[in-house]
Amino acid sequence: MNRDEIYAKLTEIFKENLDLDEIELTDTTTADDVEGWDSLAHIGLIAAIEQEFGFRFAMKEVVNLHNVGEMVDLILQKIG
Amino acid sequence: MLFSSTVFLFLFLPIVCALYLLVRKELKDYVLLLASIFFYAWGEPRYVAVMLLTIIINYVGALWVANLNSKKKAWGFTLLLGEHTKLNCSCSAAKLALFLTILGDLIFLFYFKYFNFFVENINELFGGHIDFIKVIMPIGISFYTFQAISYVVDVYREEVEPQKNIYKLALYITLFPQLVAGPIVKYHDVADQIEHRTVDFEKVAYGVKRFIVGLAKKVLLANTLGAVADKVFTQPIDQLDCMTTWLGAICYTFQIYYDFSGYSDMAIGLGSIFGFKFLENFTYPYISKSISEYWRRWHISMGSWFRDYLFLPLQRALSLSKTYSKLSHRLGRRKINILLTAIALLVTWFLIGFWHGAGWSFVVYGLYNGFFIFLEIITGWNRDRKSFAGRAMQHLYTLFVVVLGFVIFRSDTMDYAWHYLLTMFGAERGEPIYHLIYYVDRIEIIALIVGAICSAPLCSKMLEVEGRSQLRIAAVNLWLLALFILSAASIAASTYNPFIYFRF
Repeated sequence: MNRDEIYAKLTEIFKENLDLDEIELTDTTTADDVEGWDSLAHIGLIAAIEQEFGFRFAMKEVVNLHNVGEMVDLILQKIG
Repeated sequence: MLFSSTVFLFLFLPIVCALYLLVRKELKDYVLLLASIFFYAWGEPRYVAVMLLTIIINYVGALWVANLNSKKKAWGFTLLLGEHTKLNCSCSAAKLALFLTILGDLIFLFYFKYFNFFVENINELFGGHIDFIKVIMPIGISFYTFQAISYVVDVYREEVEPQKNIYKLALYITLFPQLVAGPIVKYHDVADQIEHRTVDFEKVAYGVKRFIVGLAKKVLLANTLGAVADKVFTQPIDQLDCMTTWLGAICYTFQIYYDFSGYSDMAIGLGSIFGFKFLENFTYPYISKSISEYWRRWHISMGSWFRDYLFLPLQRALSLSKTYSKLSHRLGRRKINILLTAIALLVTWFLIGFWHGAGWSFVVYGLYNGFFIFLEIITGWNRDRKSFAGRAMQHLYTLFVVVLGFVIFRSDTMDYAWHYLLTMFGAERGEPIYHLIYYVDRIEIIALIVGAICSAPLCSKMLEVEGRSQLRIAAVNLWLLALFILSAASIAASTYNPFIYFRF
């Protein structure tokens, strides 16, 4: 899977979990930029991503994610 | 030894600074370590051993955790509960080692800080007669214990290498600028600085200036307003009326901010003199638009400690449980996330309250804050408002909740807090024997106005030197010199000025 494919999947997960019709994710997108991405939705997002890609994040990874770019890097590294 | 005492300012600090700057690079850490232990022993000679023991426990514990981490071993045992029922218990060996090390840290904290509180409550509940133990809480134990826990957890999470040199770990835990009342420095934030840091003129100059700002906050504002708050809060509740209670609550709100943020400025300044860069502990909390934001601006090092080492792991552990996925089908995603967050908030804020002190009013204070944060999360209150009126409402609501929260925090008993709050809202009225004039004079009113103005970020860039004209820098330096002289004069004139957070 390459970055673009991961982005496509992530966009779907975000749309479904946050009840959004349109969303544009980029490397520098943070929780502040996305409507509805609060700490509540975050729990569900992480769980959905783990389910979709079939791995578990470690605690330090969850704590240290700063933007979508880092999230994609991490997913690439985990499934690679 | 208080930062705002003459012994510290005119003897200890100059001697330590001179020694630190003069000795060879390899010896600097040892000078600082010895100075820190001396600093601690000056105020707490009996309990130096407790702190040293904590260092040894965590030094050994972290090496053990790291060793098991690298082996990825699991420990387990099987309990035979009957002929056909077996209970398998297993967990990663590193996790168990981490758990035991943290337990070792918490036993000290429990014994010194909470034992008598539990005895008191057990006696009350069951009518028992267990004797109290005669202990005095070692200064700073709540702070250095949390630093120690941060270190082992960071090692467990493989964010940092375990420290092989016990003196360097001891330096991290005992470093006198932050030893007795924070900021709670996390190990991963300073791991590099402990190994390599440089001391240069700019850092020393910044540190001295930052220290003076903190000293002035503490001595000129916090002490002045604290005297008013003390007068009000030591009155019997039936001698207070509405106006006086508000005056007391507002003065205390500013006192605690200038007391604790002033202390943090001094700690950060001292750190800078010795080449450390600590993270900010306060960023203008009273301009917050929600309680959630407030706690990202107030005592940041503690809030983020609880977030990183308790709230997030707890929330995560709950979301990985089987019950979570079962319930999320039944209740729906949003509801289960609300439930899970509520549980994690409840535990976290209970413990944040309890961390502040072994008393029910602290627990109530913690839960009170957690309750508003929960409300904000589920209602989306802390979203940015566009209209002026909307933002004004957010500010007012936040200040209101903060001021009332400090009434609970300041009161010795819940009973006192309750009647104090009733008096504030006119539901009760005592018979005041003093007029408002008794509590405030000209100097206190000036302190209150200056305090209110300076709690907004109007001169937040005062200490910056880059790109500033020589004239401006000189003016700021003159101003700081004046503040220092004023503060020193005030210290010389007064006899008693403890920091609020030393109690915790």
